[in-house]
Amino acid sequence: MRRKLMTAVLSLGVIASMCAGCSSSAPKEAATTAATTAPAAETTAAPAAETTAAAAGETYKVYLITMDQMDQHWVTVDSGAQKAVKELGNVDYKWLAPDVKDDAKQIECINNAIAGGAQAILLAANGPDAVTESLKEAVAAGVKIVYVDSAASYPAIQTLATDNKAAGKTAGEEMITALKAAGIEEGKIGIVNVNAATASTVAREEGFRSAFEGTGFTLLETQYGEGDAAKSKDIAANYITQGVVGIFGANEGSTVGAGNAIQEAGETVIGVGFDKSDMIMQLINDGYLLATMAQNPDVMGYEGMKTAVNALSGQDTGAENVDTGVSVISKQ
Amino acid sequence: MNKKQNGWKRILAIRGMGQVITVGIGLVVMCIVFGIINPTFFSSKNVANLLRQIAPILLIGIGQSYVLITGNIDLSIGSVVGMSCMISATLMTKGMNPWVAVVITLICCLIVGVVNGGLVAKCKLPPFIATLGTMTIARGIAQIVNNNYNTDAIGDKAKVFRDFFYYGKVAGIYNTVLIAMVLWLVFNFLLSKTRTGRHIYAIGSNIEASKLSGVNIILTTTKAYLVSAFCACVVGLVICATSGMGTMDAGNSYEMYAVAASVIGGVSTLGGQGILIGTVIGASIWGVLQNGLQFAGAPVAIRNIVIGVIVVVSVLIDVIVRSGRFSKKSH
Amino acid sequence: MDSQNIVEIEHMMKSFPGVKALDDVSFSLRAGEVMALLGENGAGKSTLMKILSGVYQKDEGIIRVFDQEIREMTTQKATELGIAIIHQELNMCQHLSVAENIFLGKEKVKNLMLSQKEMNQEAAAILGRLNIDLDPATIVGSLAVSKQQMVEIAKALSVNAKILIMDEPTSALTSKEINDLFTIIRKLKSEGCGIVYISHRLEELKHIVDRVTIMRDGRYITAIDFDQNRMDEIISHMVGREIKEKFPRVTCRKGKKILEVKNLNAGRLVRDINLELYEGEIVGIAGLMGAGRTETTRAIFGVDEKQSGQIFLDGREIRIHNATDAIEAGIVLAPEDRKKDGLCTKLSIRDNIALPNLDILCSRLGVVNRKKEQEMTRKAVESLRIKLASPDADAGSLSGGNQQKVVVGKWLARDSRVVIFDEPTRGIDVAAKVEIYHLMNELKKQGIGVLFVSSEMPEIMGISDRILVMCDGRITGEMEAAGATQDKILKYATQFESKIS
Repeated sequence: MRRKLMTAVLSLGVIASMCAGCSSSAPKEAATTAATTAPAAETTAAPAAETTAAAAGETYKVYLITMDQMDQHWVTVDSGAQKAVKELGNVDYKWLAPDVKDDAKQIECINNAIAGGAQAILLAANGPDAVTESLKEAVAAGVKIVYVDSAASYPAIQTLATDNKAAGKTAGEEMITALKAAGIEEGKIGIVNVNAATASTVAREEGFRSAFEGTGFTLLETQYGEGDAAKSKDIAANYITQGVVGIFGANEGSTVGAGNAIQEAGETVIGVGFDKSDMIMQLINDGYLLATMAQNPDVMGYEGMKTAVNALSGQDTGAENVDTGVSVISKQ
Repeated sequence: MNKKQNGWKRILAIRGMGQVITVGIGLVVMCIVFGIINPTFFSSKNVANLLRQIAPILLIGIGQSYVLITGNIDLSIGSVVGMSCMISATLMTKGMNPWVAVVITLICCLIVGVVNGGLVAKCKLPPFIATLGTMTIARGIAQIVNNNYNTDAIGDKAKVFRDFFYYGKVAGIYNTVLIAMVLWLVFNFLLSKTRTGRHIYAIGSNIEASKLSGVNIILTTTKAYLVSAFCACVVGLVICATSGMGTMDAGNSYEMYAVAASVIGGVSTLGGQGILIGTVIGASIWGVLQNGLQFAGAPVAIRNIVIGVIVVVSVLIDVIVRSGRFSKKSH
Repeated sequence: MDSQNIVEIEHMMKSFPGVKALDDVSFSLRAGEVMALLGENGAGKSTLMKILSGVYQKDEGIIRVFDQEIREMTTQKATELGIAIIHQELNMCQHLSVAENIFLGKEKVKNLMLSQKEMNQEAAAILGRLNIDLDPATIVGSLAVSKQQMVEIAKALSVNAKILIMDEPTSALTSKEINDLFTIIRKLKSEGCGIVYISHRLEELKHIVDRVTIMRDGRYITAIDFDQNRMDEIISHMVGREIKEKFPRVTCRKGKKILEVKNLNAGRLVRDINLELYEGEIVGIAGLMGAGRTETTRAIFGVDEKQSGQIFLDGREIRIHNATDAIEAGIVLAPEDRKKDGLCTKLSIRDNIALPNLDILCSRLGVVNRKKEQEMTRKAVESLRIKLASPDADAGSLSGGNQQKVVVGKWLARDSRVVIFDEPTRGIDVAAKVEIYHLMNELKKQGIGVLFVSSEMPEIMGISDRILVMCDGRITGEMEAAGATQDKILKYATQFESKIS
């Protein structure tokens, strides 16, 4: 009996933690800021810093919902949002995300946000269609929606995202330029992507492929590494064995993997990737990656938060689509 | 009877060999097919890479096999890989000596093993639930260790570490492969030739009988979980060395690959049965599939289906063969 | 302490939640004797012996072994003292070999490595001493149950036991193996070993037993010298009342033919079987282990594939390809291994009774009618006099006899025509056996065909009206019970085909 009881309790605990697989994290301090007034998740905004636009005592409840909590990218969106929160001083801010990329779990998060009294939601949609029903409910309850990074196919106030397709094309063009400069006009190109479902990375690949139309290069069948740096490295190494002249990584993990493979092979394979991190910068500076398309997730978070507050206070929110752009980062 | 016949008979007589040989043949066929589709598959560079890709799967396969043979399961093994990757990387980015970091990481992982053993054997929780719990906890630790960020690059001081676990070669064979081979030899010896190994099979076969014969159930169960934690730790270190940084989602789903490798190789999920040479074949089949399908240019949907079919077929073969063995007794 | 006693137990008390298993029990054992420990199921015999061997802990009482008082008996201490116990249920690791099972928990190790060869050799020696013909490298799971039990015995004897406890050691053995076992027991006796022998097979006792301790309802009744002629007295001590007839027989008029089996072939152990079953008679199937009796019942019931054969029920041929066909036609089987094949031990008694009758109990949509279910259970419990705490209790918690009644009860709820019993009273105590015999007689009186397989000759001769004898897959003999003798049955049972023509 005791054993059955313990099993039941532990099962409930596990289930609870998985439901809190849509979990909120206390907003993290960005590593470098000195200001330590970042509020704990539950407290209402104490205007510790000077405020610029505190409306008469009104605090707005704004939630950020991303695809997961582990990818560097989302952590940066969150820190951008926090920066805006600090400046505005009138926001009760929460960051929710599932523990893994999963449509159903993200829907749960949205529902939790509505139940928690969110007035605005900054959303990075997992996929274009899965969440539309929940969004309908949210809008019907008066919640304002702003998309960050990935939009769903449901109308919202604003979408702040990287134009992934354009960015992918840029990446492709960079690679072609470098190859031509090395005198290479034809050969095989390998693509390391994340999975077939995530819209942003799929768009990047589309853009990348489009840059190669009309060239003499052959693009091999895309392989998916789930964004795992080790798996991506294996995939890239296999491409190198097949004799590719260029490899494209569609997100941070894929790029790290590609860079490591190129470093190990010691061959002159041109690697171009996406996202910025310490490791990627090192690989670029050591010459193993040509360049990376650094997104501006912090801008997404910052501007997105500002848009949300503007919408809630009845002010102008600006254009419907904001391209937060990419910078091509190469060897410094 | 000439000696060669005798040798074959003795090999076949080893328990579990039947399944191993069947899947072994399957493995060879698979390699040939992939080689025909794309001869680059057989190039020396790819073979070296392939072996290195198989090595981590083999290691977690060994860990999971140990636990499966005791009649339990370890769902936390993938998360412990992530934990190991993050703890070692975080410590190294903070400037710690890589080898000290390795020792600390190992201790942390072994603690998970002890916890698993305690929950399953002492508190008598169903292993599925217990390790599901430690799985989420370990993954959580992997995230907290560096404040929910992936780590920075572990730096040049860690070059020795990266070479040792991944990039280095000895006599043309990658270190990772050698590490896996050595650990396989050690764990195979432990399982087949020592008292601990015997007890591991016994409690998987009949836990009551073992208890009545004086086998220490708690100790034996914990030893199996310690082996899987150890293997997970090593794989985490390998991944850290591969990427040169710590990633919070390292090892995601690895527990399932480990089960697949074990089951394909003839380890029974009911316990008491299976040999580690089978896990080698199982892990190899897994690695060859991942590698070969890429060279064959197969689209991803096909890949998942192929992998799933192979796992199901190999278990099916095992069930069919086994149902003939412990057949009805006569009266 | 009586200087001859190597074991003395005084005022032993042991309770489990809700049940007083042992109430002021005494027991003693001398060196070089075989002491039978008798009592009905639930009398406390197994509990007492489990305390002596360290599996359970006593609540109160004194245990003295070799003049030494033992305050806390553990399995380890028991092994040190030289106490070995052979449990009633087989405790073998099916995946391991004979030698590995014998040495489980006490493996021989040299330099961290198992001395496998040495253990195999020693195991072979132990098996040889016991006249058991087995290769120690054989996997236990591939052995017949009787052989497994011999391995169990070999395992207990491998530790040079001075006190040997045997709980139902012969229940799965062939008569040759039983003889071998008794030879071993006599040898151990002569070497000064004290043996506690628990068995329901009272006819066996005369071969080896010196004294008898009788328990009833957790209490110690008496300990007397064994005398074959005082069996009735012994039984009445065990049961607390006189059992007038060990094998109650009723005579019924033989009616029409219910079941006919023609040319049944199902593998090597069921070859060209022809039999008939009439209303108002009980047909017993005798034979040695390996004769194919269980296989025949399974072939008729449709569980095993048959190569050929026709089955006629009440004159009409019925096609049986699986158990469902048989059950729907009205032929049912109470299998040999109650716990494994006859019951779902983790389900409640009610669930077990309902299980094969769900077609009757469910509405068209498949919803179980609870009231009908409860009624069915109540009827079964009442008519079979099943002793239980509540119909929601786990079936596994019942005593052997009551379990058997549940097994039969679930079939009786559906108006079966033929009930086949395979070893119906194995492991059941004397009083419960009689109840099962009464049950079979009831079926006979109701005109339901009763076919039963048994290895206990007195039972076959006592209850059947007609006896069939099988040997090596064929029916070698048939006789009326009136004229049957053990020798005749044995003769037919050993009538193997001569391979040399």
